[in-house]
Amino acid sequence: MAASRAASRTGRLTLPVLLVLTAIVTITPFAAMVLVAFAPESGQTFPDALIPDRITFANFEHVLSSSDVPRWTLNSLIFSFVSVVLILLFASMAGYAFAKKRFPGRDALFWALLATLMVPFQATLIPSYILVSRLGGVDTYWGMIVPTLANVQAIFLMRQFIVQLPDELFEAAEMDGASEWRIFTTIVLPLVRPALATLGVFVFLWHWNDFLWPLVIGQSGEMQTLTVGLATLQSENVPINQIMAGATITVVPSLLVFGLLQRYLTDSIAMTGLKG
Amino acid sequence: MSSAAPVASPPGGTAGTGPAAAGGTSPPGGRRRARRRRQARVGLLFAAPMLLLFAVFRFGPVLGAVLLSLTDYRLSGEWTFIGFENYTRLGGDDLFWDSLRVTLLYVVIFVPLTVLMSLATAAMLHQVVWRRGLFRGIFFLPYVTSIVLAAVIWKWIYDAEDGLVNGLLGLASLGPVDFLGRGELVLPSIALTSAWKGFGYSMLILLAGLQAIPRSYTEAAMIDGAGPWQRFRHVTLPLLRPVLFFVMVIETITAFQVFDAMYVMTGGGPVRSSFSLVYMLYDSGFKFFDFGYASAIGLVIFVFVLGVSLVQRRFLGRED
Repeated sequence: MAASRAASRTGRLTLPVLLVLTAIVTITPFAAMVLVAFAPESGQTFPDALIPDRITFANFEHVLSSSDVPRWTLNSLIFSFVSVVLILLFASMAGYAFAKKRFPGRDALFWALLATLMVPFQATLIPSYILVSRLGGVDTYWGMIVPTLANVQAIFLMRQFIVQLPDELFEAAEMDGASEWRIFTTIVLPLVRPALATLGVFVFLWHWNDFLWPLVIGQSGEMQTLTVGLATLQSENVPINQIMAGATITVVPSLLVFGLLQRYLTDSIAMTGLKG
Repeated sequence: MSSAAPVASPPGGTAGTGPAAAGGTSPPGGRRRARRRRQARVGLLFAAPMLLLFAVFRFGPVLGAVLLSLTDYRLSGEWTFIGFENYTRLGGDDLFWDSLRVTLLYVVIFVPLTVLMSLATAAMLHQVVWRRGLFRGIFFLPYVTSIVLAAVIWKWIYDAEDGLVNGLLGLASLGPVDFLGRGELVLPSIALTSAWKGFGYSMLILLAGLQAIPRSYTEAAMIDGAGPWQRFRHVTLPLLRPVLFFVMVIETITAFQVFDAMYVMTGGGPVRSSFSLVYMLYDSGFKFFDFGYASAIGLVIFVFVLGVSLVQRRFLGRED
């Protein structure tokens, strides 16, 4: 009797213990990154790296002063923030048009846009590069940003949200003689704020973490983004402590966004299945 | 840069039918027609920036990819039409068959690994109520980072001399194992890195799927005396199948596009044992500037991804 109760208690504890262990294993790489980044020069190999004899900021100071990391951070911020603003604006405009306006070829156009989801970006990498380079966009911000604005998921998400808004709202505003742009900015945008926030977070993460496109467009050291720069750093003879310091700098904005909006982010993936 | 552009012209076809269908009925018809025309103008105007961006940077490159693959376009911009020569050249190129083999092998390793990791964590989270939000957050954490970051960290973890895993193996007087330096270990090692980075996404989808299964089903099985494993195997898993299938397709498509981790961790090595199709595309394009040939590789990748999507559509169509 007592034995079976004990057995059932261990049975009940198995899952939580397993969960805690899995969680620890999942976080370990991050913990290792931070520990190595704060370890002194000697701490490059396993036991010393994880149990450093002292903590130092030298790796961060070094990486921030001797490499292009500050410049790369600026590039990443520009690439991400400008893209977020423009995608939110253009996608909500297009979403409004596709949801609430009838125009010739509307549905065919919408399906044509959705069909581009089937084409992986890599398949069009070369023509996109040639196009941008012919237009003089290599090593420029616009060359890096503009081609990424054609985002199907963004239009789709905004359309889905705006379709649910009641038509009476727009009819009433139209009766009052409000211009379309006014209706859009004072009725549509405020009502879809949750969708805009969700989309904004995703677009930020997609762009902040993007690699292949910034790699081919930002070729000079000056124009690389943080992810590209990090790949460059680690292919050179930079000590691992400094690479991990660079990696830590790279991950901070993503973690900030995640920390602030965790609940929100995970819920919206479960609901909409957004994936970059 | 992209604004201030003229309205994208509506595609032909359906454009002509509008006015005729609305044609003069009753007096308010005129007003209605005017309203409809205004609506169409406003709609096109609002959609214009995105339509223009898509026309230039999405549809353009798709068409461009097809055309380029039929030419020998070079860095200088000179080209001649060579028909299907790039494709026949691919057929006789050992490098291509190697990278195709690497990619398929990677798919075969990565997909089950990721799906199992996400299913296991989702099933655990579904059962355990204690601190669910916290655990869900922890498992999702790597997903918000970049694959480059994951690759940089894991490259150190796998390092034969300094790395974490070999350090631990050393404590047990085992190893060292050169995970990224051995042909047969490199793909599983990279797959594990990518799975760590990405399993949080599939986990969330599967968790939502699990939570959508009515509790009464598993409770009924419990009354019939089914144990936890039997309940999972015979009740939960069949009901979860559509979601599971969706997740498998998404992860398969992800796996076909593998590049970043290989670029950072191995440079395609050792001896091309992690040289994927996208890697070959990148090399042909930006190392040898063989743009036509690289475009042909891009279309091969497209065909694989399209194939996987079509299989999904077919199966999901039949299930529901």
